[in-house]
Amino acid sequence: MIGDAVERSLRSPQVLISVDELFSNAAGSRMPDVRPDLLTDEVARRVVAACPTSALKIDEDAGRTHLILDYGECTGCGRCIAAGGGAFRYAQKVTRCGVSKQALIRSWDIQGRAEVVQDEPALSQAAEQIRALVGRALNIRQVDAGSCNGCEAEIVALTNPYYDLERFGIHFVASPKHADMLLVTGPITRNMAAALKNAYDAVPSPKLVVAVGACGCSGGIFGRSHAVIGPVDAIIPVDGYIPGCPPTPRMLLTGILQVLRPFSLRW
Amino acid sequence: MTVTLPNSEAGRAQALDLLGAANTRLVSIFGSTDDNHVRYVHYLIDVNGREYRMFSSPVTGPIPSATPIVPAAAWYERELQDQYGIECEGHPDPRSLLFHENWPEDIHPMIDDVSQVPWAKGQYHFLRVHGDGVCEVPVGPIHAGIIEPGHFRFSVVGDTVLHLELRHFYTHKGTEKLFENTAVMDGVMIAESVSGDNCFSHAVAYCQAIENALAIPVPPRAQAIRLIGLELERMMAHIADVGALCGDVGFTVPAAYTARIKETLLQTSSRFFGTRYWRGIAVPGGVTRDLPSAETAELGRMVAAAVRDFAQMARLILHTSSVQSRFESTGILTAEIARQLAVVGPAARASGISLDVRRDHPTGRYRDINVDVPQYTHGDVLARARIRIDETAISTHLVNETLKELPAGSVLVPVPLSGNVEGLSAVESPRGELLYWVRIRDGKITRCHIKSPSFQNWPALPLAIPGNIIADFPLINKSFNLSYSGCDR
Repeated sequence: MIGDAVERSLRSPQVLISVDELFSNAAGSRMPDVRPDLLTDEVARRVVAACPTSALKIDEDAGRTHLILDYGECTGCGRCIAAGGGAFRYAQKVTRCGVSKQALIRSWDIQGRAEVVQDEPALSQAAEQIRALVGRALNIRQVDAGSCNGCEAEIVALTNPYYDLERFGIHFVASPKHADMLLVTGPITRNMAAALKNAYDAVPSPKLVVAVGACGCSGGIFGRSHAVIGPVDAIIPVDGYIPGCPPTPRMLLTGILQVLRPFSLRW
Repeated sequence: MTVTLPNSEAGRAQALDLLGAANTRLVSIFGSTDDNHVRYVHYLIDVNGREYRMFSSPVTGPIPSATPIVPAAAWYERELQDQYGIECEGHPDPRSLLFHENWPEDIHPMIDDVSQVPWAKGQYHFLRVHGDGVCEVPVGPIHAGIIEPGHFRFSVVGDTVLHLELRHFYTHKGTEKLFENTAVMDGVMIAESVSGDNCFSHAVAYCQAIENALAIPVPPRAQAIRLIGLELERMMAHIADVGALCGDVGFTVPAAYTARIKETLLQTSSRFFGTRYWRGIAVPGGVTRDLPSAETAELGRMVAAAVRDFAQMARLILHTSSVQSRFESTGILTAEIARQLAVVGPAARASGISLDVRRDHPTGRYRDINVDVPQYTHGDVLARARIRIDETAISTHLVNETLKELPAGSVLVPVPLSGNVEGLSAVESPRGELLYWVRIRDGKITRCHIKSPSFQNWPALPLAIPGNIIADFPLINKSFNLSYSGCDR
């Protein structure tokens, strides 16, 4: 009977994750982090050689050597952590969610053994307008433009009782005409390019676009395919990027809120 | 076991003969090329439900279509034509499958240069249903929920569906081509991104194909950990599916309840293996993460508790009369059609066809254990829901038995990078038989074919729809729960 299922559900444990534990928490994301105190030239060259994508690079500029980590290209394979001899570890916090493409990239001065600090970029005009209009009551239209469905599985998880996206006033809507934000996944395939462009045009202004996942941010491992056009910003303008393969629900929530910047996450 | 007959014209004729026999099932048809750019067609056939046999033949011109003999060949032959430009004479529907109007008709990515592909403006013709009161309802590619893209074209009279035509491959990413020239250790990352919610099944099938080709002895402990991952993936998929079916009949309480249980299993995976969906765990040669012996009991306890919770809710769901009335006799796939289309996985087992790779073609740890295979005959939404509920319990049992007797030893062995070899391997993914065939030269993939259960099963969905009302389509579609990306690749 319907009542039996409802009664059982009412007796189930309260599992909602508190706001403090939610934001930036990197559990299960497989994203790497660097311990600059253990970073040496030799370690940097080893991890760059181990990286199967181009997420890790070495940049030599005016006698200084920098290690560059682009989260937008990172699939979390863990090879840098295996090769990094302690200088690389799984991240405890991920703050690079819902940020600009430039801010997905971190760099470390290897000789100085310190991270090169960047300025926090300004909020986009559309984000300010939407915040002024609706506070955080945000309507999101999700568009899969070629994803493997990994990102979708985690986006769906946002609605489960642990994360409960609606507590923030955020809803997923069925039509782009009802949306403030497009949450776009996937490398953009040739066959989805027109549909994505149509969906974008159907969203009333001001509008925001967030690119999700390594494929959405950079094209990921599919970027070089003949059937793929590239990342989301190859087709439509993007306001914020959420990396990860796939990003965890915590990263997604952090990123969606970060685009509107209702609070300041430590950079 | 695999028997590859010598390449000859006779191979193809033998394959077509065999496909007409009652004890065979088409597994896949795919192409390849050799160093001299000669194209080959490969037929992979399951004989007696116990043995995979492959037949290969060089191709010089059009070949006779297998589709009139086995309807299940239809999409494979359309793909063959798109990828390799191999024309299948007598094919009832030779339209392009992978490529849409934007793709030039004469470019075949597995044999042609695709560095610069111009944009074309072709036309696509849906089958038109004529008659008084017939309306067309186009749905997609973007759907109302958080779902992958695909197009459904319904022809309806009132609420009743007369005909459904699928148009997919919106997420086609040229994945098989992408494998070419990829190092064998890197290929697993591509395999993990073929179907993101079944990524561990894809990773294991890929790794096993490499290991079979290179004769790598995978440590027993690694095989056991793979089994735990495969069964956890199945549980999570099935639990989510049963919840989503409830959601599709407006019964949102169990939908939220099962979403919570699935999330506990994801968090359990994250806690013990550092990954929610088991990405980065399987690699050729074994697994990257061991399970400390002190943690096996705790993992088993957490999985058992989650699944017990699910089983009790599942019983309440099945006893709810409004659920019964929506699930029962909805979206029937007959055994006859399922057999003609070589349907696999839960959909086959719900239509009276007893197939399970874990029992029929066991690999790794599955060689040493017995797997119960549930079966129902009605072929409706209810039968497909019951299969998933039963299999979740069976998977828990397999995980707990494996955890009790976890073999000792290492979990990873090195992979040799020399040799010019081929290999295949199948696993029973949550959606059914998933098979990888690889050809390797000196540590690099030269060809990788993926037989995806969704590619096999999608053509069966439109045959379970006519006569149902259009409002039941989301429910029926969910009861098959096929992957778009896994199909489109």
